[in-house]
This record gives sequence, structure tokens and C-alpha cells, in this order.
Amino acid sequence: MEDKILYLDGAMGTMLQKSGLAPGHNPELLCLTAPEKIVAVHRAYIDAGAQVIYANTFGANRYKLQKSGEPTGKVIAAAVACAQKAAQGTDARIALDVGPIGQLLEPYGTLPFEEAYDIFREMMEAGQKAGAGLIVIETMTDLYETKAAVLAAREHTSLPVFVTMTFEQSGRTFTGCSVEAMAATLEGLGVDAVGVNCSLGPRELRPIVKRLCQATSLPIIVKANAGLPDPVTDTYNIGAEEFALLMAEYVDMGVSIMGGCCGTTPEYIREIVRQTAGKIPALRQPSQKSVVCSATNVVEIDGVRVIGERINPTGKKRFKQALLEGDMDYILDQAVQQADAGAHILDVNVGLPEINEPEMMVRIVKSIQGITNLPLQIDSSDPEAIEAGLRVVNGKAIVNSVNGERAVLDRILPIAKKYGAAIVGLTMDENGIPPTAETRFAIAERILNAASAYGIPKKDVFIDCLTLTVSAEQDKAVQTLRAVQLVHDKLGLHCVLGVSNISFGLPCRELITTGFLTLAMAHGLDLPIINPNSQPVMDAIRVFNVLYHHDQNAEDYIAACMGRTQTAAPIAVPSPSPADAVHPLILAIEKGMKDHATALTQDLLKSGMSGLDIVNTLLIPALDMVGEQFERGEFFLPQLMNAAGATQQAFEIIKTAIAVQDEQPVSKGKIIVATVKGDIHDIGKNIVKTILGNYGYQIIDLGRDVPPETIVQTAITQDVHLIGLSALMTTTLNSMEKTIHALHQSGHHCKIWVGGAVLTPDYAKKIGADYYARDAKQSVDIARRVLG
Amino acid sequence: MELSLTSFRREEVLQYLHWRGGEIPSEVNAQIDSCIAETLAVIQPRYTYRHFQLHHTPEGVSLCDTDILLPGQDIRSLLADCQSCVLMAATLGAGLEVAIRRAQVRDLTRAVILDCCGSAAIEAVCDAVEQHICTHATFLTDRFSPGYGDMPIDFQYELVGLLDTARQIGLTLTDSYILMPRKSVTAIIGFAKQPQTKRFRGCAYCSMFENCTFRKAGKTCGR
Repeated sequence: MEDKILYLDGAMGTMLQKSGLAPGHNPELLCLTAPEKIVAVHRAYIDAGAQVIYANTFGANRYKLQKSGEPTGKVIAAAVACAQKAAQGTDARIALDVGPIGQLLEPYGTLPFEEAYDIFREMMEAGQKAGAGLIVIETMTDLYETKAAVLAAREHTSLPVFVTMTFEQSGRTFTGCSVEAMAATLEGLGVDAVGVNCSLGPRELRPIVKRLCQATSLPIIVKANAGLPDPVTDTYNIGAEEFALLMAEYVDMGVSIMGGCCGTTPEYIREIVRQTAGKIPALRQPSQKSVVCSATNVVEIDGVRVIGERINPTGKKRFKQALLEGDMDYILDQAVQQADAGAHILDVNVGLPEINEPEMMVRIVKSIQGITNLPLQIDSSDPEAIEAGLRVVNGKAIVNSVNGERAVLDRILPIAKKYGAAIVGLTMDENGIPPTAETRFAIAERILNAASAYGIPKKDVFIDCLTLTVSAEQDKAVQTLRAVQLVHDKLGLHCVLGVSNISFGLPCRELITTGFLTLAMAHGLDLPIINPNSQPVMDAIRVFNVLYHHDQNAEDYIAACMGRTQTAAPIAVPSPSPADAVHPLILAIEKGMKDHATALTQDLLKSGMSGLDIVNTLLIPALDMVGEQFERGEFFLPQLMNAAGATQQAFEIIKTAIAVQDEQPVSKGKIIVATVKGDIHDIGKNIVKTILGNYGYQIIDLGRDVPPETIVQTAITQDVHLIGLSALMTTTLNSMEKTIHALHQSGHHCKIWVGGAVLTPDYAKKIGADYYARDAKQSVDIARRVLG
Repeated sequence: MELSLTSFRREEVLQYLHWRGGEIPSEVNAQIDSCIAETLAVIQPRYTYRHFQLHHTPEGVSLCDTDILLPGQDIRSLLADCQSCVLMAATLGAGLEVAIRRAQVRDLTRAVILDCCGSAAIEAVCDAVEQHICTHATFLTDRFSPGYGDMPIDFQYELVGLLDTARQIGLTLTDSYILMPRKSVTAIIGFAKQPQTKRFRGCAYCSMFENCTFRKAGKTCGR
């Protein structure tokens, strides 16, 4: 903690607007056109007592400067030179000021994490070269973008890094990042100070800063606005004296770095310095709890927290097939299922010899982050895959795993440290798994010491005392339990166990698994890696939480039981009238009854009907019928989609059965679908994809915002001869045309069909498409014509 | 600024879902109601606006204190009676975006309905913002957005910059001029001393004229 206050400057934009800068212009360009104005602002802040001045580089990134034609390096060099000139003969330090890029990153937007990193890298290199002594990343609202900036600063400069993010009164940023998630993630990434700036005045920021004081042991920065703005006059409502009075209160909370943001002037800084002179920032008592997080969800490990184990190909044929085919939907479905079932953290393991594990890890981590807010556990034995995964995690993750082997510790711990991840240490080493609890405990101790030596805090070290299969080594289960107890009691560390392994090879596995889980929790296990979709397993945890007084008044337990005592309403089974004798599966699909369609398909498979027969004689006729009803306007979109959803479930049962029996999958031919580069409206494409999949075509979905070269390359390498492209915007039709052109240029023989709201049959022809489809139904007709 | 939305038009959602007046099964009605509820729970509507005096020149209408000329003939005739205007931007926030993506994984029907709810909700937000702005002026013109009539969609760039939407409400623009988060609107509203006829919110001026599913079904989207 700091023993004196560091004073920052106040607003640059406010001062420039006062001197006549028109709205909507890059203030950074003034460093080139009117440097004297910038120097004067800096000088005024230094005279007022600012010890750090922010160079006028906030928006000097290549995206924001693109219309001006000025390169980042030049603008930053000029801006730092202005600050240097103003600081001449003083002790003032010059900070490179780095604001948001101005484009939303994936998964909300389209800017890839790697490109954001590169945009920041350019700024950081230019800043250090120009002579900045500090990097300030500020006004951030997206934790992911902030991480890209911090990594760029740490990897391309040797300068200290300060970060402030901008919160709303709710205590979250525009993208939902919480104060605690910011603190956990940035502290892990090794920034030097963390805090808040902009959006609110010192009064409104108080509860947010209070939370931050609890959440981090780093020095805290507060750079508040001069109150709240008036939307019409654009003036702020707090004067310099009142502002400084409120800021002085922050010193008593333990804030040690302060300045002003929008609406503040040198007068405000002068007042802060005057009113806080000689004050010593209060000593803080931050929380020592272990936490992991995504940007929007912080999981404190102060009770049993479930790590979902299902994203893992080991022993799962259907999952392996999905990985090999790049079938993201199947994998993401596993993520959402576990989240819905109550998992707190998701383990992510994509290790298969046939695939490039680091690449797949990146793809899956990014995809999962787009649809759940659960923190992740990166599970791999490949250090490259671990690093690749940690790099793109948005938040603070766990690494699974290291063990007591020196080489493994020296390889993995620095990676975990760099990205601020917690680690799982397995109590084994080059000599294998020790037989007794005491020897496993000794390895746990060794792992803890090694982690500490690498600067990983104790609260981020979790130990896995290893579950051995009780049917093979019956005397070992008790050793695991004792080891958990030792690690929990003597080292005070959180304990992880892959629980289900215990019951392998025994009948009624769930009985053994849940029994062992309960015992292990009683011995100190608080991070079980389990299948949250298993009700008995989750029930065992609920019971434990009641008996150990974690679940106050048994509220969660009672809530879980309540839902169960109500008997489910019986499904109204559609009964075919004898006259038309429509098959019940067709009726179930028409009515969109997923559960019923699933059950009927299972029965049909059991009765010996082949998957292909079910598809051809039942699923496809059902879909045709629904499609016609939609065409006639008798059905509207939700009904069509419900029918497609029921068919999809039936199809999934067939696929799983085929994977288990190692049979040839049903495929009537491969089709690529993609939403073209620049466009992100993909719901229409996804509807088409689902329905074509239901007809038995193998769909390679390249997603949205897909560059032409990816489409061409996939068509060639996967030998695909029918390609569907979608675009919703007039501005992205151009990109569709380019894609078609690239496909023609490649010489690869293929048919292309296009769709999307702004397209017309004429325009489709004009840009070189073979077919135009108005909807999913027409897309099916085209697929039938081309592929049969 | 934040705004709390408690409802939006259900009929509008049905229209976006290509409903043509057929009987809606009760389970589908329940799905729609549940999506409306989820939409209202996850959206965080925010808006920002700025008031500009207008300068009528031979080249067109420009915003005072900026060097920005509003492009196109349509905006010029819309603002013919106006001395000032408001530029506004509104967004539902990123929460709905995540909910839609998540729904796409497990239940595409839900994703489609949520998407349509988002479209209806952002219209309702704009109406509420207009109501709020209305207190400042006697009569308002229609809302006019880039992409309407002959105003090029790339004028989004200027609007987003002038309103500093990234900082004010978390609204950004992609290279293809798509607003992000997707369920967002930017618009120009003129302030006039006399009542303004509704002229730009009819089908003829809509960029979706060619392909609009409502229009094909003989309806309008209610504007």
C-alpha cells in the first residue's frame, strides 16, 4: 500500500473544447496542428500540482485515426513531445494515454481479440519510443479489450501500467464487467495500479470504489468527472472546491492515486492538492478469498463450487466426432447444458491426437465465452494449448494442471503467473502417484512452494489429491480422502477432485460416485469436477450444503425439491386418427414436441429401424409438410422453428447411435454456409443451416463475418460443391460479391446460392450467384436440385 | 442516460415473426410471452442526444458549431421548417445480444423470437426518448436515420462520432456501418414551430421496400 498520494491531471477534452475544438474531431490531431494549445493545457495541470500528465494520445489508434490519414506513431510522438515540453524543468511524469479502440470486440462485436492486441501494440511501442514513462489504459468498458491492451503493454514495453475502467451506477460497465472481475483479472495480469475514471462524479463513484478497495491489494486510482453532465448544456454540476472535498474522502478509504476526468480543469486539481496535502492514504484490508471469474461473473470459492467436466472428449465418441468435424453447436450445447444444470466453472479439454490442440482451444474458449458467463478451467497437458487458451480467456481462469515434477512446474507455472490464472496441482510426480496420504501431502506442499516462488499467491493454488478407481485399488480411496483432509487443514488450500473416476467399472456408478463425493466434501473437497447434469450428484452437494450450514435455512435445497414434488403434466400424445394414420413421429415434429420426438426416435432405433430410414421416411416428410404449411401462411416462423428443433433432437439421437456403433454417418452431401465478411446478422443463416441439417445434409457452418479466403479454402480442402452465403446489409453485399468472385477465381467447381433481406433474384444473378433463396424452404429445394 | 422500459408492442413482434393472422397455438403464445419477459429483463436501454442549431445553406442543411452537412435531399426537405434538431442514439445494450447467442445454441425458435422482441423494444425505446425530447420543442418531425431515403448509411460514422456514443452509451460502429450492439438506433429529429406531416415513415421511403415481408403480405410495419 502507498504512503502518499500521487496526483494525476484533469480533463484534456474539456480544456480543448473551451479553446474551440469542434465536436466529432480527433483531439489528438491538435498535437500536429496546434501543439502550443496542448502544451498549455499540460503546463496548467503541472502548475496546479499534477505529478503525472496524460499525453494527448487517448484515441491515437489506427482505427480512430484512419480517416485523418495520420499514422499512430507520428501522432503519439508529437503528443509525447508536447507533454515533454510542458514538463521540462519539473518532476512531472508523462503517461501514454490509451483509450478504447472505438469498435466492439468479439463476441459482442466483430473486432478479433488478436487485432485489438495489435492495434494496442502499435500504440505501446510508439509511446515507449517517444519517451513516455508510464502507460495509462483508461475509460475502458470491455474487460477483454482491456486485457488486450495490458498484454500489449506488458509484452512490448517495460513501463509501469495503470488501468482505469468506466462504470455505471450499477457497478458494472456497459458490457457488464463488474468491479470485482476487473480487480481479479487485472491484478492477475500484473498491472501496477487499478481504478475507475469517467461517467460519474466523486459522489456517485463512492460505492464502486468501496467495492474496489475490498477487491484488490493494488494501489487504487480515482479520476472522477466533475459531477454529472446536463444533456442540453453539456456542463457538469460540481465545482472545484466541492469536488476536492469529496475526493479527499477517498484518501480515508485508501485511495492513493487521484485526478479528474470530464469537466475538470486545473482548478480542480489545485483544490485536490490543497485539501489532501499531507494526508496519508488509509491502510486497506482487502479480501483474501480465492476467486475466479469471467468478465461478468465472479465466483468466490467460499463453499463447494462445481466444475463441469463434460467438455472433454475422453471416452465420449460423439464429442470426439464433434471435435473432428468442428461441430461447435454440439460442444456449445454441452456448455449451456452444464450452465443450466448449475455448474459454477467449466473445465475445457479438447485434447485429441488428430487435431491442433492450441488452435482448437482458442476457438472453443472464444465460442464458450460468447454464450455463457461461467469462468473457465483450461485443461490440457500441452503447455502451448494452455497458453493459447489462457491468452484468449476473458477473466481469470484456472489451469488444469501441474504436478510435482520439477520440469512441469518450471514450464507451466510461469504461464499461469503471466496470465494471472489459478492452478490445479496434482499430487503426483515423476515417480507416479504416491500410495499414502502423507506422501501426496508432501507433493502438495512442494507445489505450493514452487508456485509461491513464481509469485503465484497461495489463494490461487488448488490441489487435486487424485481419485483412483475403487474397483481397481480398493485401499486407495481412503488415502485420497485423508490427503484432502491434510491439504485442507494444514495448508489451507482449496481441493479439487475428478470425482467420477472413483466408480469406473462398478455397476450403478452413481451410487459410488455420490457416496464418495459426500465423503470427500466432508474431508475438505470444495472444487469437485463432476457432471452437473447428473441429478444425484447435484443433490449430494445440496444435502452437504444443508448439513454443513452453507445453505441458510435450506433455501436452495427446498427450492430444488419444490420443483420436483410437482408431477410433470403428462405430455399430450398426439393420437393419429385411423383415417390418415400419420406416424406419431411426424405429428410430434409438426407440433414441435421435442421430448416426444426424442422418445419416439429412440423407440424406432430400438425396434431396429435404421437411422437413414427414419430420416428419409419420417423426418423429411414431416419437414416438407411443415414447410408447405409455412408457405401457405398457416404456420408462422416460431412454429416452423419448433418443428425444426424437434427434428434436430431426433437427428441428434440418430447421430449418437451411429457414433456409438461406429457406423457411417447419414450424409446426403456436404454444404458450406457462411455469413459474409463484415456482416454479423446470422440468425437467418442459422435457420437455413438447421433445416438443411435436418434433411440429412452435412453442414459446415463457418459462422458470421467470414472472409472470402476462409470460404474458398474450406470449399477446396473439404471438397464441398454447394455453398450458401448470407448478408443482411446493403453495405455487405459488396463483400458477398467478392466472395463469389473469389470462389469463381479459385477454379473450384461449385454452385453458390445466396439469401438475405436486402437481396433480390436479379441482384443475386448480377453478383454471379447460381441461385437465390428467399427462405429456408427454397434453400432445401436448391440443395435437392444440386446434391439430390 | 438510462431508461427503463416496461413493455413494447406484442403485435409488432408477431409481424416480425411473419404472422399472417393464423391461429397461434397456446404453447407458441407462451414462448412469445416468455421471450418478451426475458427481453425486458436483460435489456439495459440507454440513450444520448444533442441539440444543434441548423444552418440552411444553398448546399443543404448543416449543423452549427460543426462542419457537418446533412447529406441528401430527403433530410433537407424534412428539416425545411426547422431551426434546430436533435441527434439521438439509443441502444438496448449487450445483454440481449448474449441472450440471443445463447438461445441459438439450444433453442433457435427462442433466438428468433428474442431477436424480433429486440427490434420491437428498440422502437419502443426511441418512442420514449422522443417523448422526453418533445418537452423541449413545439413540434417534432419524423425520426430520420442513415439508410432512410437518400441519406447514405455511412453517415452513421458522423452521428456516432458527434454523439460520442461509445463513451456515452457503449454504442460502436463496425467497418460495415453496423451499429453494435445490434439492437440500436441513431436518428435525426427536427424541431419546428408548426405541425409536421408524417412523410418519411411510410413504405415508399424505407430501404427495405423491395423485400419487406409485411409489405408483401399487404401490411405496413405500423409507421
